[in-house]
Amino acid sequence: MHRLLFLPVALLFLLSSCSKDDPIIPNEEEVITTLIYSLTPDSGGAVVELKFVDLDGEGGDAPVITTADLNSNTSYTGSVRLLNEQLSPAENITAEIQEEDEDHQFFYQSTVAGMIISYDDVDGNNQPVGISTMLQTGDAGSGMLTITLRHEPNKSASGVVISDPSNAGGETDIEIRFPINVQ
Amino acid sequence: MGQQCDLSLRGYVNDSGTSQPLEYVNVLVSETGVGTTTDSTGFFSLDNLCSGEAHLVISHIGCETQQWYINLKSDTLLHLQMDHSENLLHDVVITGQSIEKTTQYSQTISSQKITDEADKDLSRLLEDMTGVSTLKNGSGIAKPVIHGLYGNRLSILNNGILQSGQKWGNDHSPEIDPMVAQKIRVVKGTAALEYVGSQLGGVILIDVDRLDEEPHLHGKASYFYETNGRGHGTNLQLQQYSPEISWKVNGTLKKNGDRSTPDYFLNNTGSQQANLAVQLQKSFSPRLEVSLYGSTFNNEIGILRGSHIGNVTDLETALGRDIPFFTEPRFSYEIEAPRQVVNHQLLKLSGRYVYDDDRIIEISMAAQLNDRKEYDVRRGGQSDTPALFLSQANFFTQLKYKDSDLFQQWGMSSGIQVDLTDNTNQPETGILPLIPDYTSLKTGAFILFNKRIKQSFVDIGLRYDQVFQNAVTISRTLPREIIRYDNVFHNLSVSLGWQYLWADDFTISSNIGFAMRNPAINELYSSGLHQGVSGIEEGDPGLSGEQSVKTVVSFKWKATGALFLESLIYYQQIKDYIYLRPEEEFRLTVRGAFPVFTYDQTDVQLYGLDFTADYELSPSLHAKLAYSYIRANDLVANTELINIPANNLNALLRYEVNQSVKLLGIQLDKCSFSMDGLWVFGKNELLAEQDFAAVPDAYQLLNAKLSFDINLPHTRLRWLLRVDNVLNQSYRDYLNRQRYFADDLGRNVVLGLNVSF
Repeated sequence: MHRLLFLPVALLFLLSSCSKDDPIIPNEEEVITTLIYSLTPDSGGAVVELKFVDLDGEGGDAPVITTADLNSNTSYTGSVRLLNEQLSPAENITAEIQEEDEDHQFFYQSTVAGMIISYDDVDGNNQPVGISTMLQTGDAGSGMLTITLRHEPNKSASGVVISDPSNAGGETDIEIRFPINVQ
Repeated sequence: MGQQCDLSLRGYVNDSGTSQPLEYVNVLVSETGVGTTTDSTGFFSLDNLCSGEAHLVISHIGCETQQWYINLKSDTLLHLQMDHSENLLHDVVITGQSIEKTTQYSQTISSQKITDEADKDLSRLLEDMTGVSTLKNGSGIAKPVIHGLYGNRLSILNNGILQSGQKWGNDHSPEIDPMVAQKIRVVKGTAALEYVGSQLGGVILIDVDRLDEEPHLHGKASYFYETNGRGHGTNLQLQQYSPEISWKVNGTLKKNGDRSTPDYFLNNTGSQQANLAVQLQKSFSPRLEVSLYGSTFNNEIGILRGSHIGNVTDLETALGRDIPFFTEPRFSYEIEAPRQVVNHQLLKLSGRYVYDDDRIIEISMAAQLNDRKEYDVRRGGQSDTPALFLSQANFFTQLKYKDSDLFQQWGMSSGIQVDLTDNTNQPETGILPLIPDYTSLKTGAFILFNKRIKQSFVDIGLRYDQVFQNAVTISRTLPREIIRYDNVFHNLSVSLGWQYLWADDFTISSNIGFAMRNPAINELYSSGLHQGVSGIEEGDPGLSGEQSVKTVVSFKWKATGALFLESLIYYQQIKDYIYLRPEEEFRLTVRGAFPVFTYDQTDVQLYGLDFTADYELSPSLHAKLAYSYIRANDLVANTELINIPANNLNALLRYEVNQSVKLLGIQLDKCSFSMDGLWVFGKNELLAEQDFAAVPDAYQLLNAKLSFDINLPHTRLRWLLRVDNVLNQSYRDYLNRQRYFADDLGRNVVLGLNVSF
């Protein structure tokens, strides 16, 4: 009985001196900090880069979006690159997507008049992936370009085209809007 | 030694609630199969019995069948009580002197109901109480809501120990197997002050009773099959008393596959569970008893694949669909991401010293380990790495002293409690944690008094808790830094209750209580994307505690011999109520813009009415009506609170056969058939901008239940057939978060068999 009474008191002393250890900061392997959409004019000339960078991930500081002007009535070859720049050297996430290309699809929705974007790559099932694209500008104008990456979409669902992921389902891993100026 | 076979056993059987004699109670000597039935005065008589040990089985329609062990040596007269009704409010006052009596009615779920509805989890069992609802995330995840309060504001005690776990999450169920319980109670008012934990919304008690002094091996085995989800479940309980050591083991296994709505499968909604509890009890003297209790709860739950979304666009797309994405016309038991794996371990050592008839000292110590892993659909083969992995260890110590006859017949109960929680995020997730690592030390003391004064019964309670929190957060900006917070909070709770027995058939009671609750760790320091709700949640380290005042007035009236009415009205005001406030701006991330929710404080009021009417149309036909009304508003913003249950009405009609029925030469006892209808009303008071989707329409459900017992020598069988949602109605419920994506469950037929021996 006496020993039983003593136990809670001992425990109390033990506990009152407690302070939590420093946590181990997790290795954020899955984070996508950077998206670069490079557009190379087919007729030669300077490469245009649309860039999204959010080094500290969701929360924290706001992302930085840089955009550049496109030339009117020009054909571009587009390619998208994803990086995790929290790691050093930066991790190439595009390669990861390439490996799981059947489970991923990029979508490109543009509100710029006359701009046409089409897929330039396929996965093992002959379905589009969207890492490589072709972009054709029309007359001068401006608008928004939304780049979306879906994980586990249904690529063959009805109505799923490069500019419309709504019937594809899956989860959105990336959804970035770039202001676009065609001159 | 010759046996004497001319003994008589006589007795009276009363209803424990009303003290009225019970007629038509079957009394059976299990060993010989000799039996009789009580008369209108509740009297029975058995003659020419042999001396020695025997088991007496008493059963009555609407009551839980009881077994009594007797050692017959001479002519004996017994006074037996039976617990009538499944989950009526119990009149717990006036008779008896134990401190557990309180001026506020506690609601109880009997062990018979727990066994009968073995397919249901804890929250869904509680749901049948008037004023209790459940906050769900699909069919596998449910947490109780009492008078509009849930999560951090409710406490659940498993065998007297405050359940430790991640109760802050709306998609986290309590980690308790209800099959371990002899009864489940919801306690409010003064009596609730005895328990450590939040005092704002009441306390749910999972009662694991002391083992009866019954020297034979007894047990209960049950099995059920349910059509919706093709679920199987089994439970086995064995127990034996001996002067050396008494023991009980209780094991449960459950598994189900994909549930379905009336029209389609809910893919990836399977679940599986394996639980075990062991109870040991030893008396060192008639005064000193020590018991050891250990339980393990292990649950894996699949979450509807189509409800897993990446951003707001996905949510909006999902809301516009009739059938969720990823719906396949294929049933499967497989559980894939998104899923949750939860393990909970409890070990409790307690000692009870009965000083004399009035005074009892109790010491309890308990350790709990809680692991929660949540798996999301992830890229790069990472779906098998949890996206959230929290380990929590909890140590609890309590010293309690009760005196039921303190000066001038005051009952007194007092105690001190120390509760330490240590919560750690496992870093293997590769994701910054939503809630930080922390330790929390809570030290509390309480004292309660009660007394019967003529026709009145009063109780007064006081409780004080000091809470120390040490949280370690990780910054959201680079470079990642560690920020420490130390907090001390003081919570005070006071409760005052009064009950008045107006006449034998009318009781009125009232209670007023003041309670404080310190902000929880998630409210202070949450940070990050809450995938399930597609929002960024941010804590506020500057939050202060909540202060609540709640008034309850209730009455019970036995209007006529056949009509019984009870009603409860409550009004609660909470100052500095902590809630998630949607911010006006969206936060831009790589996955698009997310709404931001910040923990903030406001003043709110909650008020409501619970009403129950019971009417005995004839000795075998019974009708019951239960209605719950609740409203809750933000007094500052003048808006309604979200996640408050819709008003609902339940009407039940039960037909019971008092006499045994012979069917194909088998004698069936306690045949009962009931049907009930549930009306859940709409909620027009919420504004459109308060939710992602409109509040679902009102709906009605029809349920049916059939049961009967078969008494064999030494064994009782109980068969059950229950049909939920008989009409296979399509509906969505406001408090089920899965309503954004899919309909609720279609018809479910449950077939159950219980064997007691």
